[in-house]
Amino acid sequence: MKKGIILVIDDEDIVRTSCSRALTPSGYEVKLAKNGHEGLSIMGGDKIDLVLTDLKMPDMDGIEVLKKIKQDWPGVEVIIITGYQTVDTAVKSIKLGAFDYIEKPFTPDALINAVSKALDHKNKSQQT
Amino acid sequence: MVYIFKQMLVKKSLHSLTGKLILTIGTLMVVGSSIFWYLLFRHQETELIQSSVKYGHSFVEYVIKSNRYGMLTFQQLLIQQTIEAIGSAEGVLRVRIFDSRGKIAYSSDKKDIGTVVDKKAPVCVGCHSAEGTHPKDTPTVLISKDNRDFRVLNIVQPIYNEVACYTSTCHAHPRQQKVLGLVEANLSLAVLDKSIKNQGLAITIYVLVFLFVISVVLCTILWNLVSTPVSLLTRGMEKVAGGDLDYHLDINTKDEIGELAQAFNAMTSDLKKAKNELVEWGNTLEKKVQEKTEAIHRAQAQLIHSEKLASLGRMAAGVAHEINSPLTGIVTFGHLLLKKFPQGSEENEDIQVIIEQANRCSTIIKGLLGFARASAAEKAPVNINDVISHSLNIVKNKADFFNIKIVTNFDDFLSKVRADSSQLQQVFLNLIMNAADAIEGKGTITMSTRNIRDNSGDWVEIEFRDTGPGIDDENLAKIFEPFFTTKPVGKGTGLGLAVSHGIIQEHGGSISVKTKRGEGTSFFIKLPAYKEMP
Repeated sequence: MKKGIILVIDDEDIVRTSCSRALTPSGYEVKLAKNGHEGLSIMGGDKIDLVLTDLKMPDMDGIEVLKKIKQDWPGVEVIIITGYQTVDTAVKSIKLGAFDYIEKPFTPDALINAVSKALDHKNKSQQT
Repeated sequence: MVYIFKQMLVKKSLHSLTGKLILTIGTLMVVGSSIFWYLLFRHQETELIQSSVKYGHSFVEYVIKSNRYGMLTFQQLLIQQTIEAIGSAEGVLRVRIFDSRGKIAYSSDKKDIGTVVDKKAPVCVGCHSAEGTHPKDTPTVLISKDNRDFRVLNIVQPIYNEVACYTSTCHAHPRQQKVLGLVEANLSLAVLDKSIKNQGLAITIYVLVFLFVISVVLCTILWNLVSTPVSLLTRGMEKVAGGDLDYHLDINTKDEIGELAQAFNAMTSDLKKAKNELVEWGNTLEKKVQEKTEAIHRAQAQLIHSEKLASLGRMAAGVAHEINSPLTGIVTFGHLLLKKFPQGSEENEDIQVIIEQANRCSTIIKGLLGFARASAAEKAPVNINDVISHSLNIVKNKADFFNIKIVTNFDDFLSKVRADSSQLQQVFLNLIMNAADAIEGKGTITMSTRNIRDNSGDWVEIEFRDTGPGIDDENLAKIFEPFFTTKPVGKGTGLGLAVSHGIIQEHGGSISVKTKRGEGTSFFIKLPAYKEMP
């Protein structure tokens, strides 16, 4: 049984692959999208539990993706991946409903830890 | 007087005020005196002549009356003798009696007797002014000149017919005849002329003496009242024009010149005051310009530095984004690979080196991001003592600090500062770590805080002092430049002080350094004191 379906949205192939390779061995199903639009179309098709999205992307940035997901799929948790975390963007993303943010470069353990916490939170909130 | 005229000549004083005044007044006086002299002289002359004429009339009346008896009794000898006697008197030139036909009947000069004079003769023209006219019956007065140029008074008086004449038994004149004859008297006015000449001479002398005295007095007055003070004023003007503003005019008269001198002295004093003010102002201005120039240079240098940091910040943000993604790949795959080799194996160790180096790259990137973060501070009133304490808590348990003595001199009444505490913590940690590196793990780091006040306001000053070897002069100028480091490769990024400088500057403060070779280094951070609203 899969622990959860995770959608990774990042314009960088290496980040997507890293996430996939880090999370898959731990029993997560990982779906990948190159940009916000692709990510949202996957959201419309499959049942996604958690979204990992980059903050800075061409066309649609992470904050917009976050807003759209929280608007259309309020039950889905979002973790922001950022290359240069600043206090204000972190605060802004948390205010908009992101569960957490994770700074690049991250270790597989740090990623798994953040993902697991987010999914636990999702499960707990669904039970209540 | 001679001195004055000499002075006037020396100074071309005919063109001077005094010269013009003397010339004008002198001319007026000469003209006025001449007119006065002439009128007075004429008046005297007229008066004297009128008196003489009057005297002449009386004389002729006297001649007629003296001969009345002789004429009524027709005693010709008596008449002739009387006439001769009268004619011999002093001043009497000639006395003649004419009959009605113009024949000289009697004369003081016997040779004339019997001579008939023509109507055109000088004696006749007084009455018979033109041929054919009837004689006038009034006395005629004529004044002519003799050969010595003295005046001669010629009076002709008609002898009128009267009752005694035409009733006389002798040779009675007809009753209807009006004029019986003429008496002519020539009287010399030589005495009068001499008197007039003497009087004229006297008046001339008086006028000249008067003119001379008045001229002397006038020149003296003008010289003392006008020329001398004006010369002094001119000299004063020349002195002032030459820059001698201490020159004082010593003219104390109460007149207009005195007032002018006082005004001149006041002007000189005002000029001196104004000049002093100007000089002082010029000096101050130079100093102010110098100060402003220095301030501008400082501001320019700071602006260039800030601009450098800002560009670096923008670049860092872009680089961070680009580099962090590949680093994520290296770290993630490194970790995945690490699990495939047992701990202690050569491969495992190699992979760990890869991961460490990737993390080092990440640290450098984070340092660079400090520039981007400096502009996004979240400020709140904070107590600097607390921020330093927190920073010390982070480092004091590190192995590097085991042999370091940390001393804190906190001001308990330290003002608060409006700041982003996490950014300040970053700055303080950076300075503490730098100090620890400088003393190479052995020595003292002293942290002091204090309130200070200067011209620009109230400040909080934080000092970080170490007992290290100090900083070289050549390095001192570069320590706040990004990527400048004296630490060995791999130990420092060269960004700590540059980022700290940016953060402090963004907080409206300043960071400076004082160092002495062999004694240590002090970093001073000055932040504006926060004034709480009452």
